[in-house]
Amino acid sequence: MPAIDVAQSANSGKKLNRRKVRWWKSRTFDFLQFIALIAFVVWITWRSAAAMDYRWQWYRLPKYFYRIIDGELIWGPLINGMFVTLEIAAWGMVLTLIIGLITAILRLSDSFAGQVLARTYLETIRNTPLLVQVSIFYFVLQPILGINNPLWTGILALAFFEGSFASEIIRAGINSVPRGQWEASSTVGLSKAKTYIYVILPQAVPLMLPPLTGILVNLVKHSAILSFVAVFELTTEARNLIGDTFMSFEIWFTIGAMYLVVTITLSTLVGVLERRIGRGR
Amino acid sequence: MVKQKSAKLTIGVLDVIVLTSVVALVGFIAYRVNFVLIYKWDWSVIPTYLFRWDEKTASLVPNLLIKGMIATIRVAIWAMLVSSILGVILGIARTSDRLLPRLVSWAYVEFIRNIPPVPFLFLFYFFISSQIMPILGIDEFVYSASPQKLAVAEFMFGPANLMTNFLSGMISLSMMSAAYIAEIVRSGIQVIPKGQREAGQTIGLSPFAIMRYIILPQAIQRVVPPLAGQFITLIKDSSLIALISVQELSFLAMEIAISEQRFFEVWIFTGFMYFTVCYSCAKAFGWLERRMGAHRY
Amino acid sequence: MSDGTGKQAMIQLRGVNKMFGDFQALYDINLDVYQGERVVICGPSGSGKSTLIRCINRLEEHETGEIIVDGIRLDDDTRKIAEIRAEIGMVFQLFNLFPHLSVLDNCTLGPMKARGISRTEAQKLAMRYLEKVRIPEQAGKYPSQLSGGQQQRVAIARSLCMSPKIMLFDEPTSALDPEMIKEVLDVMIELAETGMTMICVTHEMGFAKTVADKMIFMDEGRIVEEATPAEFFTNPKNDRTKLFLSQILLH
Ligand SMILES: Nc1ncnc2c1ncn2[C@@H]1O[C@H](COP(=O)(O)OP(=O)(O)O)[C@@H](O)[C@H]1O
Ligand SMILES: [Mg+2]
Repeated sequence: MPAIDVAQSANSGKKLNRRKVRWWKSRTFDFLQFIALIAFVVWITWRSAAAMDYRWQWYRLPKYFYRIIDGELIWGPLINGMFVTLEIAAWGMVLTLIIGLITAILRLSDSFAGQVLARTYLETIRNTPLLVQVSIFYFVLQPILGINNPLWTGILALAFFEGSFASEIIRAGINSVPRGQWEASSTVGLSKAKTYIYVILPQAVPLMLPPLTGILVNLVKHSAILSFVAVFELTTEARNLIGDTFMSFEIWFTIGAMYLVVTITLSTLVGVLERRIGRGR
Repeated sequence: MVKQKSAKLTIGVLDVIVLTSVVALVGFIAYRVNFVLIYKWDWSVIPTYLFRWDEKTASLVPNLLIKGMIATIRVAIWAMLVSSILGVILGIARTSDRLLPRLVSWAYVEFIRNIPPVPFLFLFYFFISSQIMPILGIDEFVYSASPQKLAVAEFMFGPANLMTNFLSGMISLSMMSAAYIAEIVRSGIQVIPKGQREAGQTIGLSPFAIMRYIILPQAIQRVVPPLAGQFITLIKDSSLIALISVQELSFLAMEIAISEQRFFEVWIFTGFMYFTVCYSCAKAFGWLERRMGAHRY
Repeated sequence: MSDGTGKQAMIQLRGVNKMFGDFQALYDINLDVYQGERVVICGPSGSGKSTLIRCINRLEEHETGEIIVDGIRLDDDTRKIAEIRAEIGMVFQLFNLFPHLSVLDNCTLGPMKARGISRTEAQKLAMRYLEKVRIPEQAGKYPSQLSGGQQQRVAIARSLCMSPKIMLFDEPTSALDPEMIKEVLDVMIELAETGMTMICVTHEMGFAKTVADKMIFMDEGRIVEEATPAEFFTNPKNDRTKLFLSQILLH
């Protein structure tokens, strides 16, 4: 195709100088304003904290993280609490996946009893507060089922709570695989189970991964509720420490920051996963 | 193949497994309750805490559990109002052309999403309430207000001696809820096609008029159902403020369970009360939505 | 290029370049449109036709060069932008009617909220233009209750309610079923007969022959050919124009 007239336009070879954006409308300026705003919020907090009738004792805090006794490192209550929180989240995730998977299978099945059971479970969890669920697990089910460790009662309560979300994620993931895939599989003679294993799950699992990782974030967040029933996770340790030391602000700020470090790390991971998988498609 | 067949349900292997497991679990629980714990159920404590006989007026008046439920709903309504205002502003900011409002809204939403509610509640209660509440003069108001004013305030915010707790609890619930409402509003706005805004621009409308007359009326249609869901979430989440001694349903349930030493009955019944309220709200909202849907353009 | 009378053009584009990120959508566009002139723009998809007319009412912001509309230079000054937009009507390929408003309210929104005209005045105005596009009886309906052709006519009426000096059309008939194209084109022809300044992006060559004063052919972000319809259709200079015309006239 001839390109005669391309050459004739006077400007085309010349490098374009970008339209001048006025400085107060530029993105850089907006970003600087944002930083200034954050700084202002921090400053206000700090100022009002300083002006408060309160003796700040940040220097006392490190020993609640760790101590070195006779050259030996001993974790303090805050780190121990964090470990328990992470332990709850890890085991909670395993149980959540099991409960979520079973519920999703029941919901996707054509079993009447299965449907009724799954729906009853979901509606019960959805329409009652987590705090009440935890109380019922701790005050009612723990003695009845003879669980002798409140930690496990707490993990179980959280897993039943998060399991309702997990089951919806799993179900939505499986339903998002087009019906034609089932039909195609049956024409090549795959059984239902084999269709799941070789056709449906390989397509559905990547879709489920990011929101399921999101559940891990929620497990970390919601485990704080277990402080209500004497599980010695981070928030409980914090509340006990405050009772002993009266350093309420230092400790609440600290554990707030500790939670944020964990959850933001996990959330960032979710974001990365989402982009990875989004690109892979 | 998968769920489309739900019309003709049959009794299959799965039903047998499910029924057997349920029967086994119920049997195990009955065995433990009756033969190991040898627990004597006593549900008679519940009705007395629902209603009590008032000698002065010679009538039945609501007792702690009902009062607690009312307090719970009161907190939820307040938090819904406050968080809707904050959430709509944040949601609109999130769709702004300018980077600054987008950044501010994003930072807020991410902060709230990642901080656990319980520590946030305590942090807010201890820190902000000792700073902001004195400025607002809540305590002074409670000491100096006339009885009528105080009665109005108590109707709206609950018992006077706990007003600071109520307000910090309500505000922190609102701040958490606002982040979720912001996301609802943002997606409600973002699904409206770009052409709508452009059409508004071509007839010379200002950005404000475009938002007010074109974007928001359409966004509201999509935003109302999830907002109704958020109200139910608030009813549930309001149980958290029991931790800072606000006397809503969970807090009172806790107190009754301890004073009567009836943990089984009280907690099961409390769960039942929450379930009833949340479930009927969900059904009512669903019904309203279907009715509204019929009148849609 | 000019009509020789020496009067100033209603729309002037001088060396306009437009970027989308690293992609250059318009290269050095020069164009004059005089009062009452009817310009038809055609060219293959992706050649920058929409971008060009969207720059004229600043739905897109150009990088370099100059756009002057009715004596006002388009730049960052927001107050002027709203003023200019109110004078330029635009009709979109996908109508972009407001689905939550009735046909009448679609038409009165601009006059009421941008011009501050009272509701009764605005409604009178709207009914006048709805009659012009021959659907006054649909005033109370919602856009979703109308056919595509009717919707596009409402969109034209909505623009006319702002008493624009210029009308821009971006492929107004290409989303319509064949049997509805004519009803929209008829309205556009009538509009052209009133002396409205119009720029139409369209591939309806019959329409172009009937109304156009000037034909413009675009390709890859450039104006490749600019001619009177007579010349354009009978004796196109550029090879790409020839190829394009041979393809489009086959249909
Ligand atoms: N908002 C946008 N962002 C990036 N590229 C765009 C955008 N709008 C248009 N383009 C690109 O600019 C070119 C011209 O588009 P357009 O003006 O819509 O062409 P036409 O209307 O002639 O089909 C196309 O290659 C298109 O992909
Ligand atoms: Mg186009």
